[in-house]
Amino acid sequence: MRGSFVHGGGLVLGVAVLALLVLVGYPLLWLLLGALGLPNEVGLDHFVRVYARTQNFEPLKNTLILALGTGLLSVVLGVPLAWTAARSNVPLRRSIHALVALSYITPPYLTALAYIILLGPDAGHFNRVLRWLLGLEAGPFNVFSMGGIIFVIGIHVFAFTYFLTYTALQSVDAALEESAQVLGAGRWTVTRRITLPLVAPAITGGALLSAVDSMALFGPQAFLGLPAQIVFLPTRIYGLLGSYPPRWGDASALSLILVLLTVAGLVMQRGYLERRSFVTVSGRGVRTQRMQLGPSKWLLLAFCLLVVFLSAVAPVAVLTSAAFSKSWIAPLLPANFTLAHFQAALFDDQVAVRGIVNSFKLATGAALITVLLGLAIAYIDLRTRMRGRRLLDYLAILPLGLPGTVMAVGILLAFIRPPLVLYGTIWILLVAYVARFVPLAVRSANATLRQIDPSLEEAARITGASWFQTIRLVLLPIARPGLIVAFLLVFIPALSELSATILLYTSGTETIAVAIFRLNDLGQLEVVAALAVFMLAVILAVSLTLNWLAGRYGARIPTDVPVP
Amino acid sequence: MPHIVIEHLNKSFGRQHVLQDVSLEIEEKEFVTLLGPSGCGKTTTLRLLAGFLVPDGGEIRVGGQLFSSPQTTMAPERRRMGMVFQNYAIWPHMSVFDNVAFGLKLARFGRAEIGERVARVLAAVGLEGLEGRHPAQLSGGQQQRVALARSLVVEPSILLLDEPLSNLDAKLRERMRGELKSLQRRTGITFVYVTHDQAEAMALSDRIAVFHQGVLQQYGRPRDIYERPANLFVADFMGIVNRLPGEIVERRDGHVRVRVGDHVLAAIGPAAGGSSAREVTLAIRPESVRLGRTDGPGNRLDGSVVEATFLGSIVDYQIDIGGLLLRVQADRHVVQEVGSKVQLTIPIEECVAMPTPP
Repeated sequence: MRGSFVHGGGLVLGVAVLALLVLVGYPLLWLLLGALGLPNEVGLDHFVRVYARTQNFEPLKNTLILALGTGLLSVVLGVPLAWTAARSNVPLRRSIHALVALSYITPPYLTALAYIILLGPDAGHFNRVLRWLLGLEAGPFNVFSMGGIIFVIGIHVFAFTYFLTYTALQSVDAALEESAQVLGAGRWTVTRRITLPLVAPAITGGALLSAVDSMALFGPQAFLGLPAQIVFLPTRIYGLLGSYPPRWGDASALSLILVLLTVAGLVMQRGYLERRSFVTVSGRGVRTQRMQLGPSKWLLLAFCLLVVFLSAVAPVAVLTSAAFSKSWIAPLLPANFTLAHFQAALFDDQVAVRGIVNSFKLATGAALITVLLGLAIAYIDLRTRMRGRRLLDYLAILPLGLPGTVMAVGILLAFIRPPLVLYGTIWILLVAYVARFVPLAVRSANATLRQIDPSLEEAARITGASWFQTIRLVLLPIARPGLIVAFLLVFIPALSELSATILLYTSGTETIAVAIFRLNDLGQLEVVAALAVFMLAVILAVSLTLNWLAGRYGARIPTDVPVP
Repeated sequence: MPHIVIEHLNKSFGRQHVLQDVSLEIEEKEFVTLLGPSGCGKTTTLRLLAGFLVPDGGEIRVGGQLFSSPQTTMAPERRRMGMVFQNYAIWPHMSVFDNVAFGLKLARFGRAEIGERVARVLAAVGLEGLEGRHPAQLSGGQQQRVALARSLVVEPSILLLDEPLSNLDAKLRERMRGELKSLQRRTGITFVYVTHDQAEAMALSDRIAVFHQGVLQQYGRPRDIYERPANLFVADFMGIVNRLPGEIVERRDGHVRVRVGDHVLAAIGPAAGGSSAREVTLAIRPESVRLGRTDGPGNRLDGSVVEATFLGSIVDYQIDIGGLLLRVQADRHVVQEVGSKVQLTIPIEECVAMPTPP
């Protein structure tokens, strides 16, 4: 029975609605128009013609292969790890869980960079070790290949399958398994016939999310695919817009297909997760059973350690070691030690320094704006009876399903021409970050506002406070921990954003990610590594703060994750 | 002139018509309770009074001034009312002092006066010495008192209370009930109180408004509502009642004779202007039936005890009066064994005939 109306607040909320329409709705409209051939020509012919070109069909095929491969790999890696962490007596479970989280927060293009150092065809560390061990002449691995790309992206996105399966396993009530045991089923039979089928929807959902995510990961696709001329939809779009003259029509038509693939995947994922209803997802108070394994637990432990070594430990370690080495090829011995790359990355290199400053400005600005927008939209949704508020909520959540590359194409089309010319300024990046990450803030603000009973605000009103005073003196102070969480949730991905930035930056508006991308093109791997280590350190520090805050104030971190 | 005048108030949420043409007048310094089961419209009425909702039709006037109508609705903060919420709505980020002082600070009172008034009101609700506490450190009863103090400190002319006692345990509830009543008498503030508990309503109120399905069923003094319910719903809601279906055989100036089974009972007739249907239901409270013969006008019946349940202060009987079961509650000193024959007397004014609902 809520519905306290908003004297005087209408203006503030109206501005938020308008901002959302301009930042999200307007670019999406242009994307649609662009895909249909506007402004040059109109019609579906254009759409069909774009796909008749082999240069455009090839990326579509590659993208689907990549999605399939990473989806499968995420199950192979994620499910055993999730089961081990949630349901076994294998030692180091907490460390394994933490390392999966580390691999998840590591920007995937940094993992790709690390694997250039680890699995480069000639000088890659692993290759050199394997050649020496096996007495080979060349190889054996080449990361610049479809297999290599699937592997590198797979060890990043498997975290989705891991987390979803882990959560589901933790919510299976032991009584379900015990009933089977009472009937005479052995431990493995119970796992195979009862436990895994119960969490199957979560596993499938995780695999779909991994697949959808991998399609959108411009960074690793570019770092590993471009040298081998393996092109995916995002990198093809990047190429189309970088050519002269830019092929807008082709780019937006490809974007639209990428959107359709992503949306189809996410809709399927939703469907699978909703079928989880037959698992007891009551959340609290569920008793789970841990299986006491014999010697087989060491085998399982070895597998888990290998996975987290490859996905988290090795990439971070090799980037760190390269950052401190005179040459990344040599081992990090005192003779090879240097701080020069940090000197270059943090002080000397014009682009890198500008990138750091810009990234911090943009991430802070985007986080601030998205939190304000998110709060306003959550407020409209939960505290008013405004017509169309559900629609507004959908619009704010929509970017969650849109690859960064696609958002960038829409934003380029929209803001390269009057009435709002932003291209060439840093503002277009701010727009892109706000548009991409506003769903995170909306969800977070929504969860926060739901926990605050409307009667707290009503009590202020009846005690004599105006709408503005109520917001300032009651709502904001109570919501503050949740809003800080929302701020950090946006800050982290905004700091490392690459896939939209790469299409929107111009000279002078480079970010850290752009600096990494460009220095890598120049072959300065050590300086790139120094920048990467710096970025990782910041992300890690912010993530730990976030965790601590969330734990301390019980603020809820929404579990849905955006497509990077 | 009445202080609060509610006229033809209507409110819908979507397709649900939650308040239908409600009219109500409340005098100054009166304690009025809006009573009814959940979803009956009592809370909606209170929230319309507070200005949290805009009516779809009708209007609310206070002291002659228009407060709410579909066209213009005065903001809650300008109504000079106080409100106590069911969950207390104590601001968790403020100390007890800051919670109570909030309204005074907004009204720009001086620091010294704020301190003085907060201290006075905290003493009045029995919270001296807890100024520095935070809400999380308070018991439910203490939070309740903070909520009261917070709304009283600004000296409102009207205090709205939304089921303020429903979250307290039984003993504390009874004590707070007494305190609320005496507080209202002392301050002379008009109380509008919402509850679903009829005992609470009767104990506290000068007048009770009984709601059901968005319609005001009856508005009157507790005793009148208990003894002369306007319809079967009110009769049922206010306490246990025997409902005996029957047929009017004779009408005479306000009184009727009704055939119930083999008996013909004298009763108070349906309200004048009511339907002329012959089908009626007799409502008889169990405690109004006397065991044995008594003097004065009354319906006299014979019956046999089918069941007797000792409830402590009273004994609850089921008595067969020729094919019909009558529930009777009597003094614990009179003991009738199961199976024994008894004589019953029901005073005529305790039998109320009302139209049988379709």
